[in-house]
Amino acid sequence: MDMLLMGLCFGVAGIVFVAFAFGAAMRSESWNSAVQPELPLVKAAAPARFFSDRVAAPRTVPPAPPWPVPIEVLLLQIENHVRLEQAAAESFLAFPTQALLHSKTASPFVN
Amino acid sequence: MTHELLKGLSSAEAEQVLGLGTKLIVPSRTKLFRLGDSADRLFLIERGRIRLTLPMQVRGREEDVFVEERSPGQAVGWSALIPPYRFTLTATASLLEAEVIALPREALGEYFADHPAVGYKIALNLAVVIGHRLQLFQTMWLREMQRTVEVRSA
Repeated sequence: MDMLLMGLCFGVAGIVFVAFAFGAAMRSESWNSAVQPELPLVKAAAPARFFSDRVAAPRTVPPAPPWPVPIEVLLLQIENHVRLEQAAAESFLAFPTQALLHSKTASPFVN
Repeated sequence: MTHELLKGLSSAEAEQVLGLGTKLIVPSRTKLFRLGDSADRLFLIERGRIRLTLPMQVRGREEDVFVEERSPGQAVGWSALIPPYRFTLTATASLLEAEVIALPREALGEYFADHPAVGYKIALNLAVVIGHRLQLFQTMWLREMQRTVEVRSA
């Protein structure tokens, strides 16, 4: 009878121990899931390109200016064009022919 | 100096007309008149050069674009004699200062009323100046149109 009671006590104690251990394990899991540690941002690795890697390297050439010539130069070109056109028109008025009416000038605007 | 508007006048008549005006010094790169201003004076150039310009949009900015340059003996501002008496160009002294004789429209009108023969000669000279400008720019316009047509039909 004593042996039976002792076994029963050990059994109950074992069940209680296992229950506590299980409860503690569940609490630590729920804490872990509530507070997520911040993961460092990792850039997605570029897909390997093998031979094309060299082509994809960033260019070091400075960007081209928005306009090919400064505005002062452009205004001078316009003035030069007007002067040449006036001279051509004067030639036509002095001696009106169809050839002189449409004669070419050296203006960069028309060449 | 013979001014283009005073051709055919006797020296006495020319002196009388010039006596109606006042001499003005226009410093280098200074505007004599602006597009849209009331045109109450006509200018005869005595010295230096006057650039005539029109505003144009160049790369999003308004710029005065060269149209014509007038030299001593020539006149600028004949809008003063033609309704609605508003300047249709902007006039600026070139790199060197210019000297002009400013002739008020009212004084000219009164003088012409008293001296119609002089007024007639000046009106004929003005017709030559305006006619030449018209022919010149008509030709330039046609040349530009020709190029536009060539580009469009290419």
